[in-house]
Amino acid sequence: MTGTSASRIGMVLGTEDVTPTVFWFAVSSGASVQLDDLVVVETLKPDGRPVRFYGLVDNVRKRHEGVTFESDVEDVVAGILPASVSYAARVLVTRVDPENFIPPQPGDAVRHARGDDLKMALSADKMGQAGFPGGLLADGQPLPLNFRFVNGESGGHINISGISGVATKTSYALFLLHSIFRSGVMDRVAQESGGRMAGSSGGRAIIFNVKGEDLLFLDKPNSKVVKKEAEASANKGFAGDRYALLGLPMTPFRDTQFLAPPRAGTAGSAIVPHTDQRSEGVTPFVFTLREFCANRLLQYVFSDAGSSLNLGFVIGNIEEKLFRLAGAQSDRGTGLKVDDWQVDVSETPPEDLEFGDLGGVNLRTFEQLISYIEFKLLDDRDGEGDPKWVLKQAPGTLRAFTRRLRGVQKHLTPLIRGDLTEAEANRYRPNLLSGAQLSVVDIHNLSGPAQMFVVGVLLRQVFDHKERYGRQDTVFVVLDELNKYAPRDDGSPIKDILLEIAERGRSLGIILIGAQQTASEVERRIVSNAAIRVVGRLDLAEAERPEYRFLPQSFRARAGILQPGTMLVSQPDVPNPVLVNYPFPAWATRGDEVDDLAGRDVVEVGDEWLR
Amino acid sequence: MRIRLDPWPVDTQDGQLTLKPFAGLVFNAETEVWAAIAPRDLPARLRRVLVVDGKPRMEARLLLDDEVGGLSLAGFGAFVAGAVDLCPHGTRQAELLEVAAQRVLAHSSESGAAVKAERLSPRNPHTGRLEYTPHVFSGSGLEGAKSKVQRLMLDAEAELSHRLASALPLDTSDPNALPDTLVLQDGPVRIGGAGRAVLGYVKTLHTDYLGADRIGLLGTLKPGERTPVLRFRVGDQGGGHDSAGQGSEGREQRFTWYVRLCDPPFYQHPLAGVMRLEMHAPEDSDFVPRGVLDIANLSGRLLCKLASMPHKDARAPQNLIPTAALEQAMGRAMGSAELVTRRIRSHLARELGRVEIEGAVA
Repeated sequence: MTGTSASRIGMVLGTEDVTPTVFWFAVSSGASVQLDDLVVVETLKPDGRPVRFYGLVDNVRKRHEGVTFESDVEDVVAGILPASVSYAARVLVTRVDPENFIPPQPGDAVRHARGDDLKMALSADKMGQAGFPGGLLADGQPLPLNFRFVNGESGGHINISGISGVATKTSYALFLLHSIFRSGVMDRVAQESGGRMAGSSGGRAIIFNVKGEDLLFLDKPNSKVVKKEAEASANKGFAGDRYALLGLPMTPFRDTQFLAPPRAGTAGSAIVPHTDQRSEGVTPFVFTLREFCANRLLQYVFSDAGSSLNLGFVIGNIEEKLFRLAGAQSDRGTGLKVDDWQVDVSETPPEDLEFGDLGGVNLRTFEQLISYIEFKLLDDRDGEGDPKWVLKQAPGTLRAFTRRLRGVQKHLTPLIRGDLTEAEANRYRPNLLSGAQLSVVDIHNLSGPAQMFVVGVLLRQVFDHKERYGRQDTVFVVLDELNKYAPRDDGSPIKDILLEIAERGRSLGIILIGAQQTASEVERRIVSNAAIRVVGRLDLAEAERPEYRFLPQSFRARAGILQPGTMLVSQPDVPNPVLVNYPFPAWATRGDEVDDLAGRDVVEVGDEWLR
Repeated sequence: MRIRLDPWPVDTQDGQLTLKPFAGLVFNAETEVWAAIAPRDLPARLRRVLVVDGKPRMEARLLLDDEVGGLSLAGFGAFVAGAVDLCPHGTRQAELLEVAAQRVLAHSSESGAAVKAERLSPRNPHTGRLEYTPHVFSGSGLEGAKSKVQRLMLDAEAELSHRLASALPLDTSDPNALPDTLVLQDGPVRIGGAGRAVLGYVKTLHTDYLGADRIGLLGTLKPGERTPVLRFRVGDQGGGHDSAGQGSEGREQRFTWYVRLCDPPFYQHPLAGVMRLEMHAPEDSDFVPRGVLDIANLSGRLLCKLASMPHKDARAPQNLIPTAALEQAMGRAMGSAELVTRRIRSHLARELGRVEIEGAVA
């Protein structure tokens, strides 16, 4: 313990209650104490043994001491009334060592926690090799987060709340990923666990980009970061830039891939990624019609399947039928061959159908698949439908089913194609687990149902894969707007898969870094399973909801005034949340932030071109 | 019948307005014209004003019982004399000066036993140490100990005032007579403290120095205005000798004048808010020295500035804002009376009671 090296900043107050969990201290003249400062107090027990209290300043106040009336301030300032300013701070105790929950003694010296004391205050000593930087404390010291509470060993999942527009949730999630990937914590933890876990090459992350094209430039350096960091360090009086303080490189993400859905087009048209700002380096992704059937993806088309029992039954039944159909295909194509479609009986036969040799039809688009299903359910046998497909469901239910399918047809047609060659299908199949370390799946251009479909299908694939291969190679899934995908009140297949990830994913090595504006609108079990909870700026009414009870009252009040780049982080090792700020992204978050010069001088780059 | 309210609270020792005529002679010193004089601005030369006050307290009365059966009285007491240091122009914060308690074991000169300094040893390092210095008072009166503490306090107050105040050349012509440090002393100025810029202020008007023909002016003074300066001899009983047989010539001369601090509410006595001020006067001089006149001229502005408000202080406006703060600080410096008494009791029980009991058993 080197706590005594820090000078005294105050004394424990005797006029307020001193308890083992909360106490006030009078700030010595000349000292400055602000919210979130970490402090340490040592008190002696009657037997002479010391007990140390580590805590966090959660309230500071000043007042005129010795005056009775509020108007006395005028007399004090006028120099008539002698009064002194009392400057006091309240401390929430985060740790008592050894665990003797006696109160400190009024008059005990309060010091800033530095060095070993800081580690004790933040329980970093318990983390061992598993600590990785989760941001900077107010005084420029890094806050360690326990990786064992992230990777699923002791706990898992991270949940981030905050109102949108302040651009904090995704930024912080990306910062955490950067910190996990580049601080070497995965290697250290793997080494400490006897090499059972894979090293840093083993961790992967999947980010769903739901807003703008913000995340399509993560591999490009940010042209503003050097200037912004210099400003921030100067403002806060830090010795170096914040990346250096955190021990992280100020570089963009490495080993990335960008996936985007294809632009809508007619069957057989070229597959071009649907992005506006970035064209090179983005791989379009599609699902083949055969996979759609074989992998039972139909359920992800319906976000409200739970609303009606009969509808769920129909979906399950059709899914099963399609699965068998796909299994019965003899060739290796991507379409689906059916031989029982009497096109002339169909109410709405699609155009440009491809007929096979023996009167069979080769389904090559999603639209054709829907028409075929409609035929089997409604048109076959003079409008009664194929009894094996209908299974005695009422025509109303069947029509509701097909109507929904028709509703999403436009959105899903570009994504589900049966007209591709085998090679094309392989090239455009989303490859999240064996491709790059960081995969960004851009779904912002997709409509709501299509977003749901893509998220649901991809998460299911990841989950199935991890179920087969176990928890090695931790997969981090970053998903914003959880309240849309896993709402508290409604059910959906995507909510089911998210719940599965939240509850079982941790043991499988799938870690959900979820974010939402309002945790109160997200399925409770998803939020409550997160070991690490982060809060950015909150609406004050939202901050009073029970989901934020892990924040002490003073923090809830402050959540309304947090600035971008500042978060309250709560982790299991430390009983109180800690306010951190994190550096400006070193990666471009918009097209115009991309540093084309790669950090070099304009003249230098110009010379190179002219050479 | 007309009813007027005495503005001061009933638990104050005296009412504010119980006027007894002054028996001796009072002379005009400044002018023969008996009319209000308007206040003047505070001169820049005056850099420092010190408000001095003191506070006594009895903490325990003792009965000393010597071995031969003689009884005598003693008491534990404490007093503080302190000051508030302020700039009359408001250029800096007011500060408390020398507010420290002293503890006294006052015992009668008739007690045979030699009284040693009583040390009340602390049981808790956080509450400090009580240490009483013995002082002898003469006689065996019941109030002897209390008046001894009071006496010590007044002496300390006078000493502090004298030490802090600038010298005041009692000269009529010196243009630099105005001192840069003025002491406001609670109560009349003390005997023997002449030659210093000490201004005594008397909050309660007990003695009527003016007489029926002049006192009417006090009711018509406006806030800040003062009466002309008068001169009288302390303890002058008329007839040349006071009741104690002391010649009135032996006493000091004083200048005095009245200042109004606020307009009285209609239901109060018209003299509410009037304060009497007092300064030393040189012996046998008929003029008012320049320094005294300057202080008299600025006294209205200064005191109006320091006057308190009725909702903040029951003795407003005469109990000045710095005085009230000083009284509070002095009370705190002496510590909680209850705690001190309790510690005295437990100390006596521990240190002396056991001896008695052991002696009885033996």
